[in-house]
Amino acid sequence: MSLLTTSVGSFPKPGYLTKARAQHSRDEIPDEALRALEEQATKEWIAFQEDLGIDILVDGEQYRGDMATYFAENLEGCEVSGLVRSYGNRYYKKPVVTGELRREGPITVDWWRWAQGLTTRPLKGMLTGPYTMMDWSFNEHYASREDLALAFAKVLHQEAKDLEAAGARVIQIDEPALSTRTDELDLVVKALGAVTRGLSAKTITHTCYGDYDRVFPYFNKLPVDQIDLEMSNSGLDLLDRFRRDPLKKEIAFGVIDVHTHVVETEPQVRERIERALEFFAPDKLYVDPDCGLKTRTVEEAKEKLRVMVNATRAVREARGLR
Amino acid sequence: MVSTTVVGSYPRIGDAPEEQALRRAIAKFDEGVLTEKELRKIERSVVREVIQEQRAAGIALPTDGQVTWYDSQSHFARHLSGVEVDGLVRYFDTNTYYRQPVVGGPVRWREPSVADEWRYASSVAEGPLKAVVTGPYTLASLAKADGRPKPELVGEFADAIAKEVRALRGAGANRIQVDEPAITRNPQDVALLSPSLETIASEKGKAWLCLFTFFGDVAGILDDLTALPVDNLGLDLVQGDRTWKALAGQGSRVPLTLGVIDARNTRRDDPGRIAKAAVALKGKVPLGESYVSPSNGLEFLPRGKAREKLRLVADTAKLLEAGL
Repeated sequence: MSLLTTSVGSFPKPGYLTKARAQHSRDEIPDEALRALEEQATKEWIAFQEDLGIDILVDGEQYRGDMATYFAENLEGCEVSGLVRSYGNRYYKKPVVTGELRREGPITVDWWRWAQGLTTRPLKGMLTGPYTMMDWSFNEHYASREDLALAFAKVLHQEAKDLEAAGARVIQIDEPALSTRTDELDLVVKALGAVTRGLSAKTITHTCYGDYDRVFPYFNKLPVDQIDLEMSNSGLDLLDRFRRDPLKKEIAFGVIDVHTHVVETEPQVRERIERALEFFAPDKLYVDPDCGLKTRTVEEAKEKLRVMVNATRAVREARGLR
Repeated sequence: MVSTTVVGSYPRIGDAPEEQALRRAIAKFDEGVLTEKELRKIERSVVREVIQEQRAAGIALPTDGQVTWYDSQSHFARHLSGVEVDGLVRYFDTNTYYRQPVVGGPVRWREPSVADEWRYASSVAEGPLKAVVTGPYTLASLAKADGRPKPELVGEFADAIAKEVRALRGAGANRIQVDEPAITRNPQDVALLSPSLETIASEKGKAWLCLFTFFGDVAGILDDLTALPVDNLGLDLVQGDRTWKALAGQGSRVPLTLGVIDARNTRRDDPGRIAKAAVALKGKVPLGESYVSPSNGLEFLPRGKAREKLRLVADTAKLLEAGL
């Protein structure tokens, strides 16, 4: 198969779920009521992706808040901080590592199994990577950043093995912090390798928004089968680097800018895919948005995905690809 | 006597609902249901609050917490000619973002960025208050300025920041800090700091001028920094812990602001251990005229933890003073 379509992970939450989450945080509705609405939203997103004809699905992370604190809430040795500023008027909570990290049990597996049961198409298992978990946490316990990253890797490896045992054929390990400190790229490789070691499922790492100049030589060293990259937000300017440092893995190529309300046109997206095909073989090239779509409205996200799928189909047809 | 200060930013909201007035007000302003005048009133009440919090914790020389700043780069760029403000870019190795200034023409000072805010904050400070500006080297380094030679660009930003310093002097500021975190990433550019600091110093009048570097060490350029025309040199001795060794070897002729309390981690620092390390610099550094501070701005911490860190600054200063 060529030019398979997929998504990075998160989708926006519908209004009824956002409201329910706020009510739940104030203890106004019980856990079961929230869970029912999370399931409803997940069903809607799975059905939407199937109807659209997306090849590899995600569950949309309707039951997760922040991608790091979701894991912090479910690990022993981890707490969640008070609010800190991200930018402007946006605030978030961070993991606080206060003791030795341990998994009380599988974290994402039940949700993955339930959501996979809604579709016959492959559904990605979704993890936040050990380097990113470390970089985005306050560390009150481990002696060094490396110790903490490897401790996260240990529990995430257990989680990945459990996902695989449950039947996940594709496991994505997000590392948006990968380019934060380029002097620690060897640590990224080491920690990610400790997660993917011995897995037979297809492994992916997603990263975005950074200065990739020093990161490029590391893409081929990352111990995963596929690199998922934001490309469109930076005007595809990363492409030229691939001429100098060819990628020896699969690539999931972001053709949709997730940080603008403006929905791309089909010709725009077709052109981005055609540009990508100058560098990557069609069977190694996956088409997806730049990043998670959770910052867009539900309608914007749906329209963007629709354009992405239509443009991909048009390119496949024009080139006679299957 | 060893004194206490902060680097600049402070969490503008906390976790308690009553500490989230500014967040709610900005959201309402963005929705168009709150006027700018109403928003400024709430901003000012938070400025008062954060100054009081710093004083209550034992900080002798607080700041306004940079409560009104969107970020350390665009807050200045918006008031300059020749610069537009663009999309979000990661701020150093933090998980925070700034709106990137894009240089499209000659950079010129147009109107005050912080002088008016400082005037208000000072009026409610009930004591000395430090003014903070982002330094020309960092402004030039984090801006997008394709094709512009760096020395020329730093020079233009230096002229602009010098005019801001003049405006601050006009507002009555007599303690002014210039932040240059970017030099920790490119120490080979240290020669660019000298002319820009001279330009700024020429407008400072009798004000006390501090240069603060953070987010890394300056071990290799410590001598260059202590030779600059400043009255105080602020150092991040947590993320830049290699600077400790350089200080022990080379010392400093200028008094320092010792950024020893970790402003990027919630782990509780040990004032006794830190004070002991600082006492070891006796004879090498004019410690009696120096300050103790967090390693960088406190806005990377939840507000409750920031308050705790302020108290640790005060505790460390007391122990250091006792050890001298």
